[in-house]
Amino acid sequence: MSIVANKDSRVVIMGGVAGVNAAKRMAEFSHLCGLEPNVTSFVYPPDAGKSVEIPFGSQFLSVPVYKTLTEATKEHPESNTALVYIGANRAYQGCMDALDNPNIKFVSMITEGVAEKDAKLLIRHSKKVGKLLNGPSAIGIMSAGECRLGVIGGEYNNLKLSKLHRQGSFGVITKSGGLSNEIMWMLSQFADGSTTTIGIGGDAFPCTDFVNFLEMFEKDQQTKAVVIVGEMGGDLEEKAAAWYAEKPRRIKLIGVVSGFCQESLPKGMKFGHAGAKEGQHGEGSARYKSDIMSKAGVIVPPTFGDLGPTIKQVYEDLKATGQIKEIDDIPPSQLPDLPRKVEEVIKAGDVQVQPLFKTTISDDRGEEPLYCGYPASELINKGYEIPHVIGLLWNKRLLNDKEAEVIRRIIMLSADHGPCVSGALGTIIAACAGIGLSQSVAAGLIMIGPRFGGAVTDASKYFNYGLVNYPNDIPGFLAHMKKNVGPVPGIGHRVKSLKNPDKRVEELKKCVKELGLRSPHLDYALEVERVTTTKKDNLILNVDGCIACVLTDLGFPADSLNGFFILARTIGMIGHWIDQRREGGRLIRLYNYLVNFAVPRRREVPDKGK
Amino acid sequence: MAKVLEGPAMELFNKWGIRTPRHVVISDTHQIDGLVQSNQWMRECKMVVKAHEAIGSRMKLGLVKVELDVDQAVAAAKEIMGRTIQGLTISQVIIAEMIPHTEEYYLAVKSLREGAEVLMAKFGGIEVEENWEKVTKTFVEVGETPTDEQLEKCAREAGFEGEMVDKIRKFAFRLFECYDNEDGQYMEINPLTINPADGKLVALDAVVLLDADARFRHPDWSFSFAPEFGRAYTEDEKQIMEIDSRVKGSVKFIEIPGGEVAMLPAGGGASVFYSDAVVALGGSLANYAEYSGDPPAWAVEALTDKICSLPGIKHIIVGGAIANFTDVKATFTGIIAGFRKAKEEGKMNGVKIWVRRGGPNEAIGLDYMRKLSDEGFDIQVFDRYTPLTDLVKFALKG
Repeated sequence: MSIVANKDSRVVIMGGVAGVNAAKRMAEFSHLCGLEPNVTSFVYPPDAGKSVEIPFGSQFLSVPVYKTLTEATKEHPESNTALVYIGANRAYQGCMDALDNPNIKFVSMITEGVAEKDAKLLIRHSKKVGKLLNGPSAIGIMSAGECRLGVIGGEYNNLKLSKLHRQGSFGVITKSGGLSNEIMWMLSQFADGSTTTIGIGGDAFPCTDFVNFLEMFEKDQQTKAVVIVGEMGGDLEEKAAAWYAEKPRRIKLIGVVSGFCQESLPKGMKFGHAGAKEGQHGEGSARYKSDIMSKAGVIVPPTFGDLGPTIKQVYEDLKATGQIKEIDDIPPSQLPDLPRKVEEVIKAGDVQVQPLFKTTISDDRGEEPLYCGYPASELINKGYEIPHVIGLLWNKRLLNDKEAEVIRRIIMLSADHGPCVSGALGTIIAACAGIGLSQSVAAGLIMIGPRFGGAVTDASKYFNYGLVNYPNDIPGFLAHMKKNVGPVPGIGHRVKSLKNPDKRVEELKKCVKELGLRSPHLDYALEVERVTTTKKDNLILNVDGCIACVLTDLGFPADSLNGFFILARTIGMIGHWIDQRREGGRLIRLYNYLVNFAVPRRREVPDKGK
Repeated sequence: MAKVLEGPAMELFNKWGIRTPRHVVISDTHQIDGLVQSNQWMRECKMVVKAHEAIGSRMKLGLVKVELDVDQAVAAAKEIMGRTIQGLTISQVIIAEMIPHTEEYYLAVKSLREGAEVLMAKFGGIEVEENWEKVTKTFVEVGETPTDEQLEKCAREAGFEGEMVDKIRKFAFRLFECYDNEDGQYMEINPLTINPADGKLVALDAVVLLDADARFRHPDWSFSFAPEFGRAYTEDEKQIMEIDSRVKGSVKFIEIPGGEVAMLPAGGGASVFYSDAVVALGGSLANYAEYSGDPPAWAVEALTDKICSLPGIKHIIVGGAIANFTDVKATFTGIIAGFRKAKEEGKMNGVKIWVRRGGPNEAIGLDYMRKLSDEGFDIQVFDRYTPLTDLVKFALKG
């Protein structure tokens, strides 16, 4: 058995992050004890309508969030307990709602720093409606083996170590949250564990006090003794003593009070919790409280250090009189563990996972990205540049300086070609329609294909084919192309010609020659050009074809080559987008006179179905 | 509880219609001449000049001067300002009108669990303590206000007669309103008297304790709270309070000069048991401290820094119960950083560190602490199997 919180408790948690954390801890406890999860819902207006994922064993519960407590209890009428984590300035209203809700029978207020007047008004209202309100500044309630309200009990392993998966014989009531956990641990070491443990909070005026819960423990047959941990200030310990002395009680009571140090400290020095302050005439001091409790028959160890042996003595006495029977505990190793996370299992080497895909170029799992194993910062510090990074990521090779220089020039030469080409125009139209940067650049990029900028890969393929199959037979190659492919990719330009050469091509050719790089593909393509230009003046090696040959000569795979144009031209497209935005370019609509409307004249629509 | 100094306390009284002597608070002696010019009463009345600081026994320390004319008052203010008492430099002086009086009364409102008590006496000053049983009381439930009848009855029982009953009733009601609306915890007027100039009641002193947790609904509380233990906060204490007000969870620090055992325990409850254990074994506390509610590591580091800087300490007790949700590893990381800094600054020579703790990530946190001995720290580390306060015994009894 237990008090206040048990297997039938169904909980609405009011509040945000802290409440969600509590729900996770509560689900862990339910898992340990083999119980159903006991959190029905959350009340948190900012997230109303959403649901929160709470791990429970190997599953994930989806717990709904509501705007008001009324909605929550209407949807989950089994809810009988409210756990309040609302901030101190709004917690009062939340608790009033909970006290007024007909479904809610018990409220635990975890909120700290609640104004005293608010707490006093809550005490008054809880009495009026005849409900119990635990807190403020409570840590929650732990009924071993039955129900956990809040984070009391700490992490999972502590629950096991403190034997909280099953009932013992001792109740616990403390002002301090941290000590509630310590006492549960002590009870598992010096006795047979706990029944229910309650943190009443360390405020000056907790809404429920020792006596409220002592009354309940007295009626709980499983609880044979109760440990109360008090502190100087207020009169709650005195009231507990008076309750104990009032008539013979079934339960044994052990009490310990903190604050003896006060006697040797400067007067008025305030320690610990808000409620820990001494009265004017020695009332409320630790010594005063301890004396009163002793006189009332409470077992009071001289110091906190003597509490363990005192508990042990009480336990042995109760065993000797047959009131407690020794519990035959199963070893902790046989209690359920929390399912491990996939990462932990993999780390432990206990499982093999088929990866979704593999990567061979880049790794950011460490402190900084590694490009083919080279740390980015080290590449920078040793003077490498963007072409080297491209070489690593596209071709897994650290380029030499000559190769890098060629790539640098290719990018510089291809970065932009004015606003009228398909790509730039696409970006500009989108920019002027108010479209964002990434979408506008994408609008330009989708223009890149067989007719615009996308001939590089094909040019590489076919010049390579020619070099391999028709090394000394240009006419043969051209005949093959004419028969099987069509125009040679990389040959021909709309405006440029032998007389009006493309400066970019001239520049690249010069560069390759100057640097003395091997250039079999380029040489072959120039041979092809020599033949084609005799047929027609503008069938020159264009920039796509030239880039294709140069990069193929550097060893880049054919599939990667369009990437150089895409990369370079993105620079220009971003520039066009920024330019249009900065200059406030107006929405673009094509003029009618730029379109040949080769359409039928207006005519009558025939009647349907005749 | 949070104490409010006399000046702002009187402002709160005035806000609720409670008369007080006319007064000015100055924080710079250059202000005085201007104030004398603009306040006619300062040129006409006799005055009291007091240090406006949270120092006990101000009279004995010569920080209160009475019966002064304007020149004497200016001289007294200049003399008190800037004096150093108990390590604290007086930074404010209050100059108040001195009201000649013969009668002294007592009036107070005190917060109780179920509501509040209004207290009255037809005597004032030190007589109140001596005749406590003659002080009359009347109870007001929380959420209610006192009725005319109950206040009148209380006043009559206290011995007031005739028109005084009505005057006291009205005045007590105003004090209650001030208490109730300003989230008071304790308010006291001693002495209360009749101003012979106009025959009206006037509060010659103002003891005001407010609920600091209610600050969120009082945007007009422009004052800072004063310490309640008869001395001002030290710079280090103020720095930790400032951090405490900003972080999740809490960090607390109060210095106790001359002690040898420095305290760095976790938890508002356990920390006091640790202090008790030190005192019970005849040790002398160098401070009180506490961190709880999973504060960030940097806040715990700042607290550690202050604790290691306490002069003449021989032990540091890093105690704590088994935490519910304070991360032991994270908070210990802060403490360890503080220790390392202190060691570099040569503050850890001859200082023994004693650790006991449990809670989330306890194994890793305790292991980090154990490894400090490799760095030359004199440190003993215990886990949950050593009872809470036993390490104090190990430290003090060997």
